[in-house]
Amino acid sequence: MIRRLGERIIFIFYTLTLLGLLGGAGIYFVFSRDLPQLPDSLENINLSLPTEIYSADGERIKVRGQRYPVSLEDISPNFLKAIMAVEDSNFYEHSGLDHLALVRALYTNVSQRQIRQGGSTITQQLSKNLFFSFERNWVRKIKELLVALQLEATFSKEQILEAYCNQIYFGSGAYGIEEAAQVYFHKRAKKLTLLQAALLAGLPNSPNNANPFNNYERSTRRAEYVLERMVKEQFLSQEKKEEALDSLLELASPKENDDPNLYFVNFVIDRLEQNYGKEFVRFGGIKVFTTLDTRLQRSAQRAARSHLKTLERKIKPRNVNIPLQAALVAIENQSGAVRVMLGGGSYSHSQFNRAISDNRPSGSSFKPFVYLTAMEKLGYTPATTLRDEPILVDIPGTEPWEPKNFSDEYAGDIILKKAMMRSANSVSVKLIQEVTPRRVIKTARLFGITSQLGNHLSLALGTSGVSPLELASAYSMIANLGVYNKPYFIQRIEDFEGNPIYENFYHGIQRFPQKTIYPLLDMMRGVVDGGTGNIVRRMGFKHPAAGKTGTTNNSKDAWFNGFTKDFSVSVWVGYDDNEPMIVRSGRGLTGGGAAAPIWVLFMKKVLQGKNRVKFPVPEGIKFEKVDARSGTLPDEQSVETMNVALKEEVIIPPRVLELEKTQLGQASVNSTTTSELVDVVSNP
Amino acid sequence: MKFPRIKGPRGVALIFLAFFGFFFLEFYGKIFERGVGNYLKWQNSERPQLGRIWERDRQGILAQSKIQSIRLGLDSLQEATDAIGSFKTMLEGLEPAFPLVLSRQKFLDLYYDFPGQWSTIVISPFELISIDSQKNWTRVLLKRFGQWITIGFLDPKNIPVHEIFLETDALEEVLATRTVKRGRLEESGFEEDRVYSAAVFLPVLRTLDPKTQSAVFPDPRWFLAKGYSLTRVGVRESASESDFPRHLIFGIEYDADYHTGVLLIPVPLEIANNMLSQIERTDSELPGEEFTTMTSPSGDNP
Repeated sequence: MIRRLGERIIFIFYTLTLLGLLGGAGIYFVFSRDLPQLPDSLENINLSLPTEIYSADGERIKVRGQRYPVSLEDISPNFLKAIMAVEDSNFYEHSGLDHLALVRALYTNVSQRQIRQGGSTITQQLSKNLFFSFERNWVRKIKELLVALQLEATFSKEQILEAYCNQIYFGSGAYGIEEAAQVYFHKRAKKLTLLQAALLAGLPNSPNNANPFNNYERSTRRAEYVLERMVKEQFLSQEKKEEALDSLLELASPKENDDPNLYFVNFVIDRLEQNYGKEFVRFGGIKVFTTLDTRLQRSAQRAARSHLKTLERKIKPRNVNIPLQAALVAIENQSGAVRVMLGGGSYSHSQFNRAISDNRPSGSSFKPFVYLTAMEKLGYTPATTLRDEPILVDIPGTEPWEPKNFSDEYAGDIILKKAMMRSANSVSVKLIQEVTPRRVIKTARLFGITSQLGNHLSLALGTSGVSPLELASAYSMIANLGVYNKPYFIQRIEDFEGNPIYENFYHGIQRFPQKTIYPLLDMMRGVVDGGTGNIVRRMGFKHPAAGKTGTTNNSKDAWFNGFTKDFSVSVWVGYDDNEPMIVRSGRGLTGGGAAAPIWVLFMKKVLQGKNRVKFPVPEGIKFEKVDARSGTLPDEQSVETMNVALKEEVIIPPRVLELEKTQLGQASVNSTTTSELVDVVSNP
Repeated sequence: MKFPRIKGPRGVALIFLAFFGFFFLEFYGKIFERGVGNYLKWQNSERPQLGRIWERDRQGILAQSKIQSIRLGLDSLQEATDAIGSFKTMLEGLEPAFPLVLSRQKFLDLYYDFPGQWSTIVISPFELISIDSQKNWTRVLLKRFGQWITIGFLDPKNIPVHEIFLETDALEEVLATRTVKRGRLEESGFEEDRVYSAAVFLPVLRTLDPKTQSAVFPDPRWFLAKGYSLTRVGVRESASESDFPRHLIFGIEYDADYHTGVLLIPVPLEIANNMLSQIERTDSELPGEEFTTMTSPSGDNP
């Protein structure tokens, strides 16, 4: 009976052993085929050449791929004991596989029917981090184990532990113990105290949720648990543990997460990746010298934040908690270098770059292109008169369109310069009717606007979406008197040895004659000096400047685009959900009230201590004082006069001559023909 | 079911010992893990380079090869720029899509190396001095747009401190056509009976007024600085009749250290004939060299 029982036991044992051997061999042959090759050394596995991005003022604004590997001697023994206690207490005993930990994990996973516990040794974790995805499945676990066994057979325990410490992720962007010690405690890994070491050893398990910057309580609880494990594993006495818990953690303050430069930096990285490929940026070890001026970028952020705060106090409270946003782009006119790109109020709250991606209707900021087209194609001048009046535009197949002025007020006969200063919508619509939207689009393209523009009359009021970058660049061409400089972001790229691999060269193209652009520039100076953008002067900005405000329907977008001789700056303010900006009094915010103050606050910083530089007047331009209503030479009947810049060949007629012509029936009250009359007389 | 029979207590003991031995070795010596680990280590080199670190390696290599190819392109461009031999070639070789960047030194070398006054007509040396006085000109960017060539003098930030616009027609001016050829006069189409020794040519040249001198001969510094020794001078008709019908070509042969070269200078017919008639007078005193004044190929001899 006993013998029979023994025989049965031995049979079962044989069978199981045989099955085990066959199973093991089968698993090995299935998985060993695509097991990865191990490198000859673990020392250099973390090293790749870092890519560095510099600003124009010499600041290193971003480093990608920088690692700080250290040897075991340069890591605090406290940390080594802590990490072993919590991750793999039998590290020095096993050969890559910890049977007890594995059985424990197997039991948990089988009983819960899902992978809950890894039971992985430090070697297995290293194997996973070096070669495998982070997806949890059995196949990956088996491969990971086989590679761990090979790691143990190939490298010493010290080499494995060192490699592990140098490549694990500790959260907050820190890879490796040296970087983690720097990020969390501003000290070398060698100098970590027991409590600090315990805290760091607790992070690899949950680097994002348990890190002290995100959840201080959880991270300290985890550090306590690590210390307990150390006591249990006899790496530490109870007294030392108590001492450690009583000591100060000396946690560093988190790295400034709200770096405004990141809007620019990430845009540059995206562009580089598009042009050269991702690997070029990540592993190329290149040095990118950008056009960004970090000092100005900070000023832009301060200006935007300060004014947004003021506006939010004035605006009617909304049900949704979406903050008011702003975007600002500043371009150096002479070269086209983009010096500032602010994509939002705060990078930490929203990484969406509104300076380039969020094409919003530009409102009246688009009008300069309509006016220029009319002056180019119809021979109009800033002194040409049109009637500012309510108009009705017949659109076949739909209701007539009735564009209105901002406050539904109309000035009657006014010269173009005055119309631009008042941002009269009716005049702009009349102009586009005469020149056609197609021609205006053509002009806008010459100004470097690449966004899709609607081929319809409402284009005159800026109903097509454009980005602040496009507008800043387009206005920069006006400041440059017709010279188009493609905006650029990268000045130079060098390889890791400092050899240049890319350089930006200036490619200015004179797209319009200077004397064609100058009258427009002068009209836009009028906007700032006495038009809708007059807040610029009221806020005490004294440098010669020109610009144009823009406000879209129901005050959903507020723009101010302005320039001095050296800088062109575009500012947009609005909500991401495209809701109107209505103040408590019920009025809507305008470009002058919402965006222009940011422009002024920023430009005051930019030009602090600098001389006031006038716009150069090109050859072939003359200045004339004209009657602001009739566009004729001023006389005793003139109520308001205005200085206009004109091409030298333009002759402004006296009022008498115009009256004679009117009496002769060559002119009518129709605004277009009136302007034609002036044109006929002024362009003999 | 028939189970295997255990043949006596010795068999049981052996089996027990075998298993005990295996477990003992596994428990204390990790024989299984080490066995598998060492077997994998043994055939490591046969396995593919898969996984994250190898991918990083590959990406790194790809990035470096991209950078290398960009560098090679830039180096070859630099070599091509360094190899430009004359001011005129520099301007002629410009293609609309490919701007050319030259160092300040190279540009000045080419500018002053031109055998004649053409380069100084294109850009006045006083203009260069004036640009240079700002001390921020490091390189020159040459671009071609249609019929126009832009010469931009760049500061260290690549911003042009001064720009000169040149019409491509200027490259066709007679003064621009002075060229250098390797070889002797005869190889450049000069006939023996129209070749004179330097000893005959130079005294006549010295008697001419400075304007005429500069029309037929470069600044002597051009020869002296390069260590070229003047040997002979030849005269022939222009090979291209349509270009400069009222010009003759003077070939000035010189010996350099390792080669002989000819500087070809188109000279207006009137000046050429005037000079040749003087050479004739000098020449009549020297036996063996005959001379006849030449006519324009177009037959339009004034």
